[in-house]
Amino acid sequence: MKCEYDKDTESLKIELSEEIDMSTCKTLRNIMDGYIIKYSPKECVLDLEKVNFMDSSGLGLIMGRYNLIKMMNSKMTILNPGDYIKKILGMTELAKDVKII
Amino acid sequence: MNNKIKIEVDNLLSNVSVVRVALTSFISNEGLSLDEIMEIKTAVSEAVTNSIEHAYTEKENTVSITAKLFEIDNMHYISIVVQDYGKGIEDVELVTTPGYTTKPELEHAGMGFTIMETFMDEIIIDSELGKGTKITLTKKLNVKKTNNIVKGEINNE
Repeated sequence: MKCEYDKDTESLKIELSEEIDMSTCKTLRNIMDGYIIKYSPKECVLDLEKVNFMDSSGLGLIMGRYNLIKMMNSKMTILNPGDYIKKILGMTELAKDVKII
Repeated sequence: MNNKIKIEVDNLLSNVSVVRVALTSFISNEGLSLDEIMEIKTAVSEAVTNSIEHAYTEKENTVSITAKLFEIDNMHYISIVVQDYGKGIEDVELVTTPGYTTKPELEHAGMGFTIMETFMDEIIIDSELGKGTKITLTKKLNVKKTNNIVKGEINNE
């Protein structure tokens, strides 16, 4: 996982590269929340290009971070999800509120 | 091609990725599309995670996974049976409701069964309280016939 914060746009970009399942979720959650709370970004971009596996645990992970971002009145964008990850994201309300590119 | 693999793992969450790797390798020569492989992997990951996370309260219990490739009338299928011997499901209809989870504090999305239903063609849930749960996932496969024989000219001098 890589994190980049752009001061000018107040945008936090989190690049995930792990297989996201229940055994990796907890660690990822703690690290991501750490960054989100540290920077309180206006926008949080999750880049999923390098994620080669994600199941419903990953969906829970993204939904949880989205709720945190929403509490800060900020926005979330999901970048580069693979086709089957798009299908998983599409099963929830998340797809209505989050920009998926 | 008809083929079968059986894997037994302890109920550790780290074993879910082990099962995925074994399964991927088992189906890798079947000419499936990447999307199909991902869908099968994800559905099985959900079923195995459920058994490990919910069926047992004690360590050193077993989850067994049997994957079978078979043909009926020239159509190719995979069926995967995920079996545990844990506490069983009290209300199958309730647990398969999208968004239902017993552990919201752990941020479980409650979408496991919805994903299994979406990515596979058929899901059968056999569960008995105190005896265990058996999930059978079946999917019709779009097998691409690949011809690996390289034809060359035979030089008959």
